[in-house]
Amino acid sequence: MKQKARKLSIGALAAVFALTLAACGNDSSNSESGDSSSTSGGGKKVTIELALSKSSQDSAFVQQDLLDEFEKKTNIKVNLQLLPAEQTSTVLQTKLAVNETPDILQYNLASATTDLNLERNFEILDDQPWVSRLLNKDVLSAYGHVYSFHVSQDTGMQGVVYNKDIFKELNLEVPKTYDEFLAACEKIKAAGYTPLFMPFKDNWAANVMPGAAFGEYVTKNEPTLFDDLNANKKKWTDVPAFQTILDQQYDLYKKGYTNTDVLSDSYDMAAGQFLDKKVAMMFMGDWLIESVEQQDANMNLGLFAYPTDNSGDAYLGASPLGGQLFVPKQAKHKAEAEQFLNFIAEKEVAQKIVNAQGYVSNFNDVTTPELPDYKQEILDNYITPKKTAMTMDAYMLVDRSELYRSLQDQFTGSKTSEKVLQAWGDKFAELMKDKGEAGF
Amino acid sequence: MIKRSKSMYGYYLVWPALLIYTIFFVAPAIIGLFYSFTDWRLDRIGVHFIGFDNFHKIFTDDTLLLAMKNTLIFAIATVVGKNVIGLLLAIALNMRLKSRNFLRAIFYSPSILSVLVISIIFTPMLRTEGMVNKFFDSIGLHFLSQAWLTNPDLVIWTVALVAIWQSAGFQMAIYLAGLQSISKDYYEAAMIDGAGAWKSFTNITVPLLLPALNINLMLTLIGGLKVFSEVFVLTSGGPGNSSQVVGTIILRAFGEGNWGLGTAINTLLFIIVTLIAIPLLIFMRRKEVTE
Repeated sequence: MKQKARKLSIGALAAVFALTLAACGNDSSNSESGDSSSTSGGGKKVTIELALSKSSQDSAFVQQDLLDEFEKKTNIKVNLQLLPAEQTSTVLQTKLAVNETPDILQYNLASATTDLNLERNFEILDDQPWVSRLLNKDVLSAYGHVYSFHVSQDTGMQGVVYNKDIFKELNLEVPKTYDEFLAACEKIKAAGYTPLFMPFKDNWAANVMPGAAFGEYVTKNEPTLFDDLNANKKKWTDVPAFQTILDQQYDLYKKGYTNTDVLSDSYDMAAGQFLDKKVAMMFMGDWLIESVEQQDANMNLGLFAYPTDNSGDAYLGASPLGGQLFVPKQAKHKAEAEQFLNFIAEKEVAQKIVNAQGYVSNFNDVTTPELPDYKQEILDNYITPKKTAMTMDAYMLVDRSELYRSLQDQFTGSKTSEKVLQAWGDKFAELMKDKGEAGF
Repeated sequence: MIKRSKSMYGYYLVWPALLIYTIFFVAPAIIGLFYSFTDWRLDRIGVHFIGFDNFHKIFTDDTLLLAMKNTLIFAIATVVGKNVIGLLLAIALNMRLKSRNFLRAIFYSPSILSVLVISIIFTPMLRTEGMVNKFFDSIGLHFLSQAWLTNPDLVIWTVALVAIWQSAGFQMAIYLAGLQSISKDYYEAAMIDGAGAWKSFTNITVPLLLPALNINLMLTLIGGLKVFSEVFVLTSGGPGNSSQVVGTIILRAFGEGNWGLGTAINTLLFIIVTLIAIPLLIFMRRKEVTE
């Protein structure tokens, strides 16, 4: 009996070893076969990793035909790592910390400076060939150096994304005041559509309206407020307007103008809700319009500024340019990563992307195409008359996810708007103190 | 003969395993202990000793305390749920049923699914207007229709229920193995002596099943205290922070770039698990009997 058990265990051990060896062997033979097939394309086949948030999966830089073209031309395969939207910064921070970085990552420059320690972790791209052709270096630069890459210089705008067809069908004008906004919601609801879609399972989505509205309030009324908050000269609870704005968002839900299950619905459902003509409006950025119209060119969406009051003079929130590409210092295939940026920067390739996306070109030899309707409207109605304000997030030096979580608490009914600001104020002070900011 | 076997399986055979264990567990644990007393951060170069500051923060932060409370609720609920249901299933499926092999496979099958798959199945089912609530409404049990994943008071219990659903079948398998190793002779002897089913269960089954119970309690308890994936995939600690557990809080601390604090919470979790598990293990071992 014992003998048998012994034999069995030795056999099992041998099997495990054999499997391990086989697995290793398999690996090497795979890469070898990869090599041999690649010889036809010239050079050794290299795979580079590009990491980006799942919420950016429609980004122009990761469209399959573009990646295929690049692979055909250079024999470099781009492998995409899609990170869960809520965890993008955590995952990237961890990867950077343990030096297991992707070769390229897509992120927002402004957030990269606060979340990812730009100077320590990323390559300065000043000497790249495409830099001399840039029209607006600032949108790609920090600390006086170009740290990131993009073909566009046009920043995302935040407000209320709305379905123009539903508005036309119900004879609705774009609401200019808070009262008009409520009246529009009532009318849309009566017609059987969901007036506002709130996908607050993704907690950042709960911050889109407040982030833009806080920014608008500060720009119009107290231009130094964010500096004061960042220097601990003022507290978050000192600003009654912030509380009013948070109350407004919650009231819209309480009045039944939203999807019923706001905390179960997630952002990835948003495009579908518009495509199925279930919802009329949503607090979001114009990037959503782009991705909805990409899926159905007949969709007729627009963006208007959310009116927090009855002054009739609402501003759109302007976020800093997002979606730039970065090359980490620890990237294993730095040269190939830079080759990828060079490829996108090529005149023809960049022109194709700028045309397809309706971007405002950032290269002097790439022309800006005729803008899509919604963008032209934003330009005419808000950007040219200077009715935009930087969103709150542009001013923040620390991670905001705790504020977003508190906003969820407001929707479970466990925190009032005052408590939300109080909890965030406490966390904000703690984070600023940990960061070593003066005044905390 | 004895001498030969000694030389064949000497203590030196333990060295490779011990080396791997030291490199990948003991060393990181000790290094972690060191880092938990520092201000190791994403945005600061160099680490500085800060004494017990991190631990002070853990015990004064409401969210961290809530996470500990949730972890305990989850651990206790899953230990009870997984073991009671697992044991009942094992006893039922140890009887001579025609379909027992089929049923065993069915009950065991959730435990081979990835948690991610389980979250994809359960998230839509547990929505306010999801299948579960629709079912309760349709049979008139409206009071059972709840905001399972969005009610802050309920959410950790919901996650525990899903975890029980997933792994009770695994516990069942261990209990079944235990039950099958009990010789039928005892039951026959007891029957002849006039013992009923309950008497047989308490006096024969339970004592002889203690080794299986011991393993199951340990596995479910340690698994419960170290919970991460179930919470992460179903709620990510939300809504707000209402379903945060120690595991997700560690992730959050790392996400905020506060690696020193993250390591401190991890060290604390290690200490808690050790302090609960080892005395329990010793206690249970003493109770074990052999045939």
